[in-house]
Amino acid sequence: MPSEVTATAVDDNPEAYEQRHVHAVYDHIASHFSSTRYKPWPLVSEFLLSIPAGWVGLDSGTGNGKYLGLPTDHPGKFWTIGLDRSQGLLNLARTAGGSDKIREVVRGDVLDNGWRRGAFDFAISIATIHHLATVERRVAGVKRLLESVSPRHGRILIYVWAIEQDEHSKRIIPVSTRERICVDAEEQCPSGQDVFVPWVLSSDNARPKVPRGEQAQNVPPDAIRRYYHMFSGEELRVLVQSAAKELGLKVGPPSSNEADANSSEGVEIVVSGWERSNYYIELRRWQI
Amino acid sequence: MVRLITHNLLACHAKGCTTNNFPLKLTDVKLALREADFNPDFLRGFLPRVEWDALIQASREIGDTSLPVERPEMLDDDLLRQLHHVLLEIHIDEGSMTCPNCGHVYPISNGIPNMLLAEHEIW
Ligand SMILES: [Zn+2]
Repeated sequence: MPSEVTATAVDDNPEAYEQRHVHAVYDHIASHFSSTRYKPWPLVSEFLLSIPAGWVGLDSGTGNGKYLGLPTDHPGKFWTIGLDRSQGLLNLARTAGGSDKIREVVRGDVLDNGWRRGAFDFAISIATIHHLATVERRVAGVKRLLESVSPRHGRILIYVWAIEQDEHSKRIIPVSTRERICVDAEEQCPSGQDVFVPWVLSSDNARPKVPRGEQAQNVPPDAIRRYYHMFSGEELRVLVQSAAKELGLKVGPPSSNEADANSSEGVEIVVSGWERSNYYIELRRWQI
Repeated sequence: MVRLITHNLLACHAKGCTTNNFPLKLTDVKLALREADFNPDFLRGFLPRVEWDALIQASREIGDTSLPVERPEMLDDDLLRQLHHVLLEIHIDEGSMTCPNCGHVYPISNGIPNMLLAEHEIW
């Protein structure tokens, strides 16, 4: 079993690549995965605390659904609907790890658009976009988020894994083979790193949980290595700018467009930063 | 579990299907009733966001006629309880959702609607 993060390169069929190195892995490790990832991240909880009563949100790539039951002190103040591709994870998310509360979950791909346009008031994408295997697919992932929320007030929070890991991280990160990831030649060009992460290492206790026999019988060696694109520096901001541009949205605070005085719409970067080995960005859509 | 609150947000996304692709028609449903936390603040806030005609059509399709055909201006206590029940307490455990435009069928199985399209299911 691999014991550290290793560099990888995506082949020329990113969809099949994700199927092999993301979806198949999560389906296989679903039950093990869930028990190790129950704590909501503080910044996500904080974002959700600021959501008003009556709103409906999308958790795109909900995994085990740990955010679907928040806020716990005001049950049902707003509703968050979980989307994921993994049937195994959805079965867990539906009951939030075996509780008697039933959550709302939908099976689907984060690059699909199976919603009324702008149907949601908010969307969160936590540790999901970094599983998309090309920059074009990551841009598409952000576009879907921007399209899923209300053009007038929609709020979005995105979290991805950072190449800059904090000092307590057990992970060992290779620094070779950095790729250029620019969509737009005019943009600043930060680089990230495609890696495989052995799933046992990213749990709090790094002991193997796949029974040996089961692993030998059912799982190809690939299946315990998850694909991640580790983000660096400004990469997440650039991704948002590319997605906004493709949708014809201005990036910045609300302002009327002088060339077209009648209407203008855009997306404001409310806050962005690095926290505990992850980059995050909070967005707000606006329309004038 | 799919409830009408979620159904109210779903739309067909088959290739080229961009108009008249909502609401998905519910058929062959198996229902379960489960109590949910009653939160009037949610219901009052959600009322202007819901696609009311779609909610009425869907609730009739699964055999509930308790809600008024016209979107209410105000929610009195009775209406709050009815809306709570229709949106959040009726679970569709099994069934089909059919696009009114292209006829694509999205199955609901074990309470989970499957919005994956056929070409993505090859694995
Ligand atoms: Zn359709």
